[in-house]
Amino acid sequence: MADKVLMKGNEAIAEAAIMAGCRHFFGYPITPQTEISAYMAKRMPKIGGTFLQAESELAAINMVYGAAAAGARTMTSSSSPGIALKSEGLSFLAACDLPSVIVNIQRGGPGLGGIRPSQSDYFHATRSTGHGDFHMIVLAPNTVQEMFDLTLEAFDLADKYRMPAMILGDGMLGQVMEPVDISRGNNIKTYVKDWALTGTKGLRKRNVVNSLYLSAEELELLNFQRFDKYKEVEKIARTEDYLLEDAEVVVVAYGICARIAKNAIDTARKNGIKAGLIRPVTLWPYPKHQLKAAAEKAKAFVVVEMSMGQMIEDVELSIRCSRPVLLCNRTGGMVPTREAVLESIEKAALLKGEQNADSI
Amino acid sequence: MNIKELPEIEYIIPGTGACAGCPSTIGLRLVGKALGENAICLLTPSCAVASMGMTPKTCYSFPALNICFASAGASGGAISMALDPLYSKKRLEGEKPVVFAWVGDGGTYDIGFQGLSAAAERNDDFIFFCYNNEAYSNTGNQRSGATPQYVPTTTSPLGKEMLQKNVPLLMLEHRPPYVATASLAYPLDLYRKVEKAKSIKGFRYIEIHMPCCTSWKFPAAETIEVSRLAIRTGSWLLWEAENGKLSLNGVTAALAEGKRKPLPVEEYLKAQGRYAWLLKSPDKDYYIGNIENNIRRELEFMAGRAKL
Repeated sequence: MADKVLMKGNEAIAEAAIMAGCRHFFGYPITPQTEISAYMAKRMPKIGGTFLQAESELAAINMVYGAAAAGARTMTSSSSPGIALKSEGLSFLAACDLPSVIVNIQRGGPGLGGIRPSQSDYFHATRSTGHGDFHMIVLAPNTVQEMFDLTLEAFDLADKYRMPAMILGDGMLGQVMEPVDISRGNNIKTYVKDWALTGTKGLRKRNVVNSLYLSAEELELLNFQRFDKYKEVEKIARTEDYLLEDAEVVVVAYGICARIAKNAIDTARKNGIKAGLIRPVTLWPYPKHQLKAAAEKAKAFVVVEMSMGQMIEDVELSIRCSRPVLLCNRTGGMVPTREAVLESIEKAALLKGEQNADSI
Repeated sequence: MNIKELPEIEYIIPGTGACAGCPSTIGLRLVGKALGENAICLLTPSCAVASMGMTPKTCYSFPALNICFASAGASGGAISMALDPLYSKKRLEGEKPVVFAWVGDGGTYDIGFQGLSAAAERNDDFIFFCYNNEAYSNTGNQRSGATPQYVPTTTSPLGKEMLQKNVPLLMLEHRPPYVATASLAYPLDLYRKVEKAKSIKGFRYIEIHMPCCTSWKFPAAETIEVSRLAIRTGSWLLWEAENGKLSLNGVTAALAEGKRKPLPVEEYLKAQGRYAWLLKSPDKDYYIGNIENNIRRELEFMAGRAKL
């Protein structure tokens, strides 16, 4: 395969997973991510890997659970309602510290919703993907190239920190085609997994993968330890900044919305508004320090997202509500326009650091 | 009765977004004529939901409940449970509506099977229709538990290795009051079976064979012809069972009794583009031999079951 290839976003994720050493993929059809399964179905048999279309999302995530426990690099993908079905499995993966990669190509919700792009699973991904105290690493690509790069990274981070990692894309990124440089996939780090269930052959102590603790003291201790690890993971929080240095109006957007925001920022700059962009690349851990630093210079924030306003809560938390934050949003499968973002930037520019944006 | 005498009620009204030649709309139209106006339909994620058109131009004329993929078995029974006291205590007047679920093979054979099995065991009062087009056609043709052996789909690109499950038989062995299979090529048989199911209380299961021109790759005008070939070659069997007592119907009965010879299965296979690779393969005879052996085995098995 040439180093630069034209790929659909979904295909880029699938190829990156294969290059990252994932040889066990468990899928189930749901628009708009089914291409990942189709790609894996074609590629896996040729390289001695496993492609398996499960009988349900529930089965697919628990196949990931099994394969991850055996120490394999493994992945599943779905779209919003299907990810909801995987929730219990994700909680188990986190509870057993099993590295795994989960792809969510979001569509409009709630319920069966629609098949068009959305970002309305932000809360689900960063707050409550399943029961209990846990987090997943959540990476948010905004180009097909990043779908590829961040998938490679997700496998690495999952193994490094022994936890599930999610690629949070949307229906537009999944379906769009762009050129991808796949050369990064040739340099893959692997990790020793001495905790995996591989059979002792009577030669070593057995491993146990478990999330049941009837002793509350023991379970509490494990939860504290896991959250100590999360403090380490928080250091990977990162953003891509655009014209942020002197920005008075800071737009915060991830995924496809960030690309639209960039266009709007260019126009705003031409119109004399000092606008800039912070694009969170990691949604968990959230780049709260970067946001807080930006708030020291900025007068107002604009959050652009395809939901009823979910990431906006993290922005307000990060800057401790010290600046007004406007929401520019579409939902149900609609995508914000450059004009709408520009209008929000213009409104924010008039605020001049007033505390309360509620009256706008 | 002949087909011209079927009731005029239309479940499918103009505005459908289904493909030309869609078997699900043909089947649902016939089912509607048998169920009548007093019915409530549950629809799982499937072509039947995706093709119903955009509000206000929805192409269905019945009250409908859109449910989760895995939950037709659970939600179907619960509608009935909620309605029962309302009618028995006369809070609602008249006859209780027929509750029916219209579910594809993915929602029946795979993700929905747990709920389906439990509903049958509880004898929940509704009709579960499986419209079996042997693939996840709504998401662009992926394999399901109903996809026959050797059929290539986007997730079985080299042809599916395994045989399809026999879910109608599994449902029969739950011993609900009524189980039947049907074909679009025999509309009056289908109509009679739905009418019969309607007259029975408890859990009823009807599976209709649904050749899908899009996934199976044949011209849209040949849906009925392909349905008929499936029956005449013995690839799909027509039967019904009341309280576990099975009888074979129509052409299938004639095949089982030896009154009629099955058409060579190649007739059925060559009508569908999805088998084109197999018919061109140097191992064609091996594959066809396997398919024919399987047809013979299924027919003998069901004929034997009918003697119980």
